[in-house]
Amino acid sequence: MANLYQSLELIKPEIALSIALIVLVTCDLIFHKDKKFIPYIALGGLLITGIFLLANSSVSGFAFIQTDLMGKIGLVAVDSFGTFFKLLVIITSILIVFFSFSSEEIQKITDRIGEYYALLLGMILGMFFLISATDLILIYLSLELMSLSSYVLAGFTKLRDRNSEAALKYLIYGSVSSGLMLFGISLLYGLTGSTNLYVINMMLQSPNANMFTLAFANILILAGIGYKISAAPFHFWTPDVYEGAPITITAYLSVASKAAGFALLIRFIKTTFVSFVDSTGNWQLIQVFDWKSVLIALSILTMTLGNFSAIWQNNIKRMLAFSSIAHAGYLMLGLVVFSNGGLLAILVYFVIYLLMNLGAFLVAMLIANKTGFEDINDYNGLGHTSPFLGIAMVIFLVSLVGLPPTAGFIGKLYLFIALVDAKMLAVAVIALLNSVVSLYYYVRVIKHMYLTAPEKETQAVKPNLHDTILVTVLVIPTLLFGIYFQPLVNWAKNSLEILGLM
Amino acid sequence: MSESLIINLSVAILFLPLLGFTVVVLLGKRFPKLYLFEVGIISIAFILSLIVMFAKLSYYPNNIVAQFTWITMGSAPSAGSFNIDLGISIDNITVMMLFVVNLISLLVHLFSIEYMHGDKRYTRYFSYLGIFTFSMLGIVLTNNLLMMYIFWELVGLSSYLLIGFWFEKKSAADASKKAFIVNRIGDIGMFIGILILFANYQTFTFDAIYAQIEAGNMPFGDSAWLTAAGILIFLGAVGKSAQFPLHVWLPDAMEGPTPVSALIHAATMVAAGVYLVTRIFVMLTADAMLTIAVVGAFTSFVAATIALTQNDIKKVLAYSTVSQLGYMVMSLGVGAYAFAFFHLVTHAFFKACMFLGSGSVIHAMHHEQDIRNMGGLKKKMPITYYTFLISTLAISGVPLTSGFLSKDGILAGTLAFGKLTGHWLIPLMAFTVAGMTAFYMFRLVLLTFHGEPRDHHKYDHAHESPKLMVAPLVILAALSVFIWYTPNPIAADSGWVLSSWIKTPTQVVPNETRFDFMKPDAAFETNSGQHAESHGTITHSTLYTETMHWAHYKAMFASLAVAGLGILLAFAFYFWKKLNADKLAEKIKPLYNFSLNKWYLDEVYDATAVNGTLNSGKGFSWFDQKIVDGAVNGSAYVTRVVSKISGWFDTYVVDGFVNFTALLSGFVGLLFRKLQTGKVQTYVAFVVFAVIVLLLLFKPF
Repeated sequence: MANLYQSLELIKPEIALSIALIVLVTCDLIFHKDKKFIPYIALGGLLITGIFLLANSSVSGFAFIQTDLMGKIGLVAVDSFGTFFKLLVIITSILIVFFSFSSEEIQKITDRIGEYYALLLGMILGMFFLISATDLILIYLSLELMSLSSYVLAGFTKLRDRNSEAALKYLIYGSVSSGLMLFGISLLYGLTGSTNLYVINMMLQSPNANMFTLAFANILILAGIGYKISAAPFHFWTPDVYEGAPITITAYLSVASKAAGFALLIRFIKTTFVSFVDSTGNWQLIQVFDWKSVLIALSILTMTLGNFSAIWQNNIKRMLAFSSIAHAGYLMLGLVVFSNGGLLAILVYFVIYLLMNLGAFLVAMLIANKTGFEDINDYNGLGHTSPFLGIAMVIFLVSLVGLPPTAGFIGKLYLFIALVDAKMLAVAVIALLNSVVSLYYYVRVIKHMYLTAPEKETQAVKPNLHDTILVTVLVIPTLLFGIYFQPLVNWAKNSLEILGLM
Repeated sequence: MSESLIINLSVAILFLPLLGFTVVVLLGKRFPKLYLFEVGIISIAFILSLIVMFAKLSYYPNNIVAQFTWITMGSAPSAGSFNIDLGISIDNITVMMLFVVNLISLLVHLFSIEYMHGDKRYTRYFSYLGIFTFSMLGIVLTNNLLMMYIFWELVGLSSYLLIGFWFEKKSAADASKKAFIVNRIGDIGMFIGILILFANYQTFTFDAIYAQIEAGNMPFGDSAWLTAAGILIFLGAVGKSAQFPLHVWLPDAMEGPTPVSALIHAATMVAAGVYLVTRIFVMLTADAMLTIAVVGAFTSFVAATIALTQNDIKKVLAYSTVSQLGYMVMSLGVGAYAFAFFHLVTHAFFKACMFLGSGSVIHAMHHEQDIRNMGGLKKKMPITYYTFLISTLAISGVPLTSGFLSKDGILAGTLAFGKLTGHWLIPLMAFTVAGMTAFYMFRLVLLTFHGEPRDHHKYDHAHESPKLMVAPLVILAALSVFIWYTPNPIAADSGWVLSSWIKTPTQVVPNETRFDFMKPDAAFETNSGQHAESHGTITHSTLYTETMHWAHYKAMFASLAVAGLGILLAFAFYFWKKLNADKLAEKIKPLYNFSLNKWYLDEVYDATAVNGTLNSGKGFSWFDQKIVDGAVNGSAYVTRVVSKISGWFDTYVVDGFVNFTALLSGFVGLLFRKLQTGKVQTYVAFVVFAVIVLLLLFKPF
């Protein structure tokens, strides 16, 4: 039982989250009349989880160790890499709770607010385990836990037909993807005789499996993960769901859910297919499957498709959906170099992506709250009538393009440094050209806000104190990390450890 | 007071004006009284700089450096591993510059409260002063070339804003553009110079670069590159400090408000160039120094000859500034480092006093700037007159003034340089300029303040300026007296400024590329045994020290003689009217016109650079219209013929193909539209399809 005790010690954040979930559901059942305090329970739970995460930040080890032929192998790996992504998820979640306070859509469903937060907490729990899981079964379970909650949340408000449509599409698409992934998992199990990533890694070191079947299994699993990070060609759900879901959930899916997906992708490939990390920090892949080519192809396809499709969008949420697809493409570039430098770039980029993407969604939400518009053409003249939101939006969009002096530039800088270091100049050039394309549709919004004269009087959007603070909290680091980013990079540098057996 | 406190205070001094700028520029429209905030901020910065100066000079003989790593580039493939550090370095000349910049900025702020009163962009004006001060303080405090360059450009930007502050006037808008563009030309040189150093040493920090040079590590392995880097960085100073041939922007920049001229053309922006050269002084080779000396001497000569004949009160001061800056640069070039910096400080005070004094006159005369329409103002504006007179005495080098001390040192330096190296032309020019300076400055004073008023209408309305405007004049005039710098009015060396505050740093360039007199004696080196650390102890050879002593009294008497001659001539022409200036001008008309038209340099630039650019533009346009369009038209004809043929082909062959392609594209388009029109079945089918395609593409055999 000592083992169990140590394991529980390691997963304290997850336990805190579970307790918060139980308390929240219980309170929701007991108090029928007044549910105003429910969000604060969620917020408290998230904060406590965050504190446990920070306290755990220097701890690493395996939880739920089982003794196998290969030695002692855990189901859950607690390491600095995982903690980094969990912190990202927690920060995003806390911000989303505050977003929900401001959101008109969420305010209209106060009677079901308990369910909303319960589902949110459930989703976070799924993400946490997804980030740490080193066993295919646990991976699948946590992926489902996370997905099922998000299906419901996508259609939660039921205010418009689009909500339900989005939820249903998400569900059907997600089921197929998870089915494909499960198929891949079963094939991998059949080939290696184990569901544990470490054992699979050892089996692959001396392969006697059928290479074609292995490739098939890998691609199927990639389809499942690609769906979570909305990488092309598994992205089709993204624009429809992002447009249809409540904007808070859209923002959440675009950051937290993507973060969990990326953590899974990185850990899965690193643990299963990397034989060793050499002294310069390059990852040596086991020569069983050409992950590098597949990922390069997918990342180029993803960013190109995302950027080119975004050009034609008139709905700001849809535009941001395609933009988030494009950013998934950039992020994958950090993985294809297969080195610690690339991983560092991903981590840095993700923090910055969190800030600027949530910021853009927040401003879009505040404008939609007041004016009801999500169409870019309705933004005409908003920069003049609502200077604060206008300037904030400009900063977020400029950062999304990746221009200095905003943080987005630093994110791209580290990605390109990693690519150039790995001598992948052609890929770097393609990514650069893609950034140029993205300039068009981001600046188009700015043009509408400042240069296009409105046809009718534009309604001024005056954010209240809560919203102003929220926007400021996102604007300041977006600018600050563009100039003074060393702390961020140091944090990321300390979070490169992915537990391996060696 | 601890070192960290000094550092913190210096950082506060740096950022306070930025705070002032941000607050005033953002909220100035709503709160018109906010300019007082900016003035208050500068006052605080001034008091802090006073404290920092006092503490540094009294208790800390060594440099105080604070830096942090800004960017860790890891290992970039081409350049290896490097970091970019930012930081500040506080030594004696830094704290003195902090004091000078903040004092003059404060006085200009106070002066402007009255002078700019009623301007429609009143608060914005003050916010610009704030960002200007911030940029200049950045240049002063930095310990590396990167920040130097950043703040350098910021100074360029803020001077652009200030010179073009009255941008409704075309001349002001043009002048600001000219200043910006001409400065940019120098900055390109500076940029290349910085890149040469950075490419070789992977660092921007002064001390790190100098340490590597001292270790015998030459850029690209050759000391010629070091000379090149020195001269290229000096090009930046040529632009900012208005040295020949890039001095043309400064006189035009007089279009800005007069207090701005005092701020940027006396104490700050133009001094930045000289300051930059003092910063890179230790890495200048003999060739680079000679170049600098020649440029400086020639500049001071050209500007002085032009100033002789100008009639606009501010233009005279502008050319006099160029001339004095040439002095400082020349002085650095001949190795008289301490006197150059000393002159920078004294000049800042008396030139600011003159500019503000001219502002006071212009204010009183309702924006009349032509000295031919003034005269007799002494009675109407006594305080302005006396302060102006004191600073004129200072710039002319009359004993008991600060200008006498610093100018004399420079002249002695050139004389010693002439004796040691045989370049006698430089001291010759320097003494000629000294005489001319005395002449044209007294011409200005006599025409403006003495004699009979020539425009009675304006004269009758003239009055002494308000207290807030004359107070800065009095302070600056007081600072132009010798007593602040040395107890002995004829020997600057015995004063505290030169004996303990300003010390010439030891050069780090290899011995064979130095002037002989810039090498410490071998005996001394073995005695001290630590000359690498002894920055600022003994730099020159004993021979040099002896020559300086030899030159000291000779230079003093010679300079007194030429200054006296200049003053005498000025009185003869404009006070006693013994000589007639107009007749003389008639006699030497070509020379007179040459000077009046500023050596025709603007015309030369117009004819060459400006028209060259315009003409090449026209040339391209002609090429575009005739050749390119001709080719296009010709090909259009050919095309028409071809198209007739192809038309037939088109109708019968291509159309069939096109129709087929259209059908195909339509099909593909349909597929693409289907992708995203919301049919989830299609999505699912496509995922499965994608998996199959991926498998076929990346199958392992």
